[in-house]
Amino acid sequence: MSLQILLNGLATGSIYALIATGFALIFNVLKFSNFSHGATMTAAAFAAYFLVSANGAGLAATLAVAGIAGAAIALFGEFVGFRRITLNHSSSTYFFVSSITLGTLYEGLVTVKVGSNFYNFPRFFTNPTINLGDFVISTSDIMMFTISMVALIILAYVIQKTRLGRALRAVSFDRDTAQLMGIDSTRIIQLTFVISGVLAGIAGVFLGIKYTLYPTLGSLVVKGFIASVIGGLGSLTGAVIGAVLLGVVETILLSVLGSGYSTIATFAIMLVFLLLRPQGIAGSNVQEKA
Amino acid sequence: MALLTNVLTQVFITLISVAGVYVLTGLTGMFSLGQAAFMAIGSYASGIFVVKLGMPLVPAIILAVLLAVVVGYLIGYPVVRLRRDYISLVTLGFGEAIAALLTRMTSLTGGASGFTGIPRRTTLAIAAVSAILAVALVAFFKSSKYGRQCIALRGDELAAKAMGINVIRVKMTAFLLSVALTAYSGCLYAFYMTYVDPNGFDWKKSADWVIMVFFGGVNSLTGSTLGAFILSALPQVLRGLQNYRYVIYAVLVLLIINFKPSGLLGEWELTPRNIKRTWNGLRAKLSGKAGKKEGH
Amino acid sequence: MKKILAITLALVMAFSLVACGGSTSSSTPASTAEPASTPASASEAGSETSEGGEILIGCLQDITGATSALGMSVQAGAQAAVDEINANGGINGKTLVMNTYDTRGDVTEAVNAYITAVTVDEVSLIIGPPVANIANAIKETSEEYDVPVLGFALDPTCQLKDDGTPYKNMFCFQPSATDQGKIMAAFAVQNGLETFGILYNQENSYSLSLLDPFTDELAAEGITVDESLIVPYGSSDTDYRTLLQPIVSAGVDAIYCPNYTQELVAIVTAATELGYEGKIVCGLDAAPSFNTTYGGDCSNVYYINNINTDDPTTAEMAASVEDSVSAVNKYFLGYDVVMIAKQCIEEAGLDDPAALLSAIENVADYEGLTGKITIDPATHMPKDMAMFMYTYDNQTPVMLGEFAG
Repeated sequence: MSLQILLNGLATGSIYALIATGFALIFNVLKFSNFSHGATMTAAAFAAYFLVSANGAGLAATLAVAGIAGAAIALFGEFVGFRRITLNHSSSTYFFVSSITLGTLYEGLVTVKVGSNFYNFPRFFTNPTINLGDFVISTSDIMMFTISMVALIILAYVIQKTRLGRALRAVSFDRDTAQLMGIDSTRIIQLTFVISGVLAGIAGVFLGIKYTLYPTLGSLVVKGFIASVIGGLGSLTGAVIGAVLLGVVETILLSVLGSGYSTIATFAIMLVFLLLRPQGIAGSNVQEKA
Repeated sequence: MALLTNVLTQVFITLISVAGVYVLTGLTGMFSLGQAAFMAIGSYASGIFVVKLGMPLVPAIILAVLLAVVVGYLIGYPVVRLRRDYISLVTLGFGEAIAALLTRMTSLTGGASGFTGIPRRTTLAIAAVSAILAVALVAFFKSSKYGRQCIALRGDELAAKAMGINVIRVKMTAFLLSVALTAYSGCLYAFYMTYVDPNGFDWKKSADWVIMVFFGGVNSLTGSTLGAFILSALPQVLRGLQNYRYVIYAVLVLLIINFKPSGLLGEWELTPRNIKRTWNGLRAKLSGKAGKKEGH
Repeated sequence: MKKILAITLALVMAFSLVACGGSTSSSTPASTAEPASTPASASEAGSETSEGGEILIGCLQDITGATSALGMSVQAGAQAAVDEINANGGINGKTLVMNTYDTRGDVTEAVNAYITAVTVDEVSLIIGPPVANIANAIKETSEEYDVPVLGFALDPTCQLKDDGTPYKNMFCFQPSATDQGKIMAAFAVQNGLETFGILYNQENSYSLSLLDPFTDELAAEGITVDESLIVPYGSSDTDYRTLLQPIVSAGVDAIYCPNYTQELVAIVTAATELGYEGKIVCGLDAAPSFNTTYGGDCSNVYYINNINTDDPTTAEMAASVEDSVSAVNKYFLGYDVVMIAKQCIEEAGLDDPAALLSAIENVADYEGLTGKITIDPATHMPKDMAMFMYTYDNQTPVMLGEFAG
């Protein structure tokens, strides 16, 4: 019974992890919380729905198209919303305002297109659940968990072991110096947005499978935000741990306290945690500069 | 006329909140995503005091604002001590917690069905006078010792500390001032709308206020006021565009943030000296142009 | 230089704003800058009732926002009725024109939209929203005007003041939450269901308003629902399985879920994943297109509906719109209410607002597609209006019978 709840929490946490990583990636490089991430997820999921799954294509095609659409949207956002701010070296608050506005823009456009109807991905699995002894695990959860993990492992490999990843870390550490060392920082920032967009697309499809498709689906981005902050700002490992922890804690609180009070309790725990360990889980302390 | 009165009243009420956000974000550089929750506290508390406890209006509003300030102090205690990046998160969680509380306390607040039966007392005049007073108060605060300290610590907290500024106290003062203003605007809102529901006070509303400040000019109170004025009235002007109007709203804000990052007015403030200078500049330019034309 | 440009821009915007506001107040045909929302030329709105060939009505709906699917469905139905009326010669020879006003599902915005409709465009009556919070927001403001709001907010507080008298302009044209909850509970008991769990959205007034009538009726039948099996949830809760767990393990006969369509899809999916095999009793929002959105076998879902698809006229109309409209029953509500409005306007004219209100108050035995409608002047809601209970055979709706409130 309680193990079942733990499993539910892990399933939720693995989706949060995808959102949080996309979030943390951008924070890593540009030092701001990208609130347009949520609307990017929604828009990419809808794009995949209309382009492929409404025409009967399977899960793999849907995920691929969502990833590409997410990357394209994120790239567009980088160009429209953040490029000038980056070049001007404006304070991170401008990124924040710009990202929220971009989110409003995407959400508005999605609403114009789909506001009058309900949408849902077709069922990708014939058996909705798998029984393991006493436990019920939904097939889609296993699929989401596996794909999330694979995506995150690939990401970790790219960042830790490849030249591109090193360049990305260099830009994240100090953009100007990296530029002087011959790294095209604009290109690297674009790349970061592409990766984060792919993650957003996949997360969007997962959310769509779990909760059906609707224009404000992306508001769950808030969970990713919370997870990435508890994880330690900009730390990818921290974001994943934070996300899984958040999913599990939320689920346990939900089953113990019920809805409503669990929100309040989550907030209280978060507050205490931040006061006790202000550097976050990962503990990589980004130097504060106002 | 009724529409104009209605829109203006709402704009003035929003203006009071935005004046609060200006103190917080514009002067001190702190980001609150839970600011709207204080508006909720103001509206619900004052409404409950009047409707359920039969209190007269003015003491009810004073009490509601005081209550919000006390809550603000409790939440502000960690907020002003935490690093900046966390402030938005903590206030966001706080806003969600307040909304959850309001939906849970059904017997007191009506829960999701909302709180009805609040008498309509806010008039355009009251809202306008309140807004002017609020902006004046913030202008006064900005030019006071505290205001200058706020600006100093926004630029560099460490240096401000080294200069002997009590960073925590200054931040707390600014936070509480903004909380009081927001809660007061919430009171006016409740007594204007006669109905409040817990849905409208989420982080998006708080973010909207921040956007208004930036749109007008984060370094200028005049600009922030103007930004609030334009952006809160804009959706009404664009009503004919139906569901495209928020798309246009977003595009407009993006244009400003990208091409005029200091906002509409930059650092320009509405002071007699500045007006004179701008006027002279304008006249010189106009006469210059006129001269050119004559030359042709 | 830049500064001056910015100031000028700002001033121009501010002035244009004031100018717009100013011209609205005079309501002369010159208010061209103001919303010409739908096909209607709003500039003629001021004079149309007395001399022009048009009657202008407003449609106040959530066109954007969380409940946009419902609002757009009502609007589509209302527009169909308007077109049909005009094709048959209009009302007393005048063309009926409908303007749509978006509330964005936001209470402040709703008041703005309402005042725009009433004072700027001077509509003769308003087709209201199917959302209680919006109706609650405008009810107090509506007292200041003489424009009836024919809506569908099934929470009685939207129509009734604290002292029990109705708001003069607020009407509801579908059975109240009390009636619907009762019907569903009575139906469930009749079908031999005895143990219940409830999952409701405490942040949604619709869901909340259907909770007590259901449990009250069950109590009248001698069935109490265990406190621990009445589970509330909110928008920030993402795990329906954890919420459903105690209900499913209690082995109940039925789960009562008075929730919106998208949430229902996720809830039914979660219940299936937990291996739940009992019934699920839902409100209006499990009606089509719930089945196509869910996409699976929903034979265990029971729901209440406004329309009877066994009736050939209804079935034909439903079939013709089901591809373009997401909530077909809301489409019929919108259609019926415009037809009722037509009847009332023909009866009372538009010159005397009191006569129109009294005509609406006294609508009796109107044979609409959503049933026989008789408005109770004391509550401004329908009296003894019947609803229809349905289930699905795999994905095909099956009508089970008509139930009086």
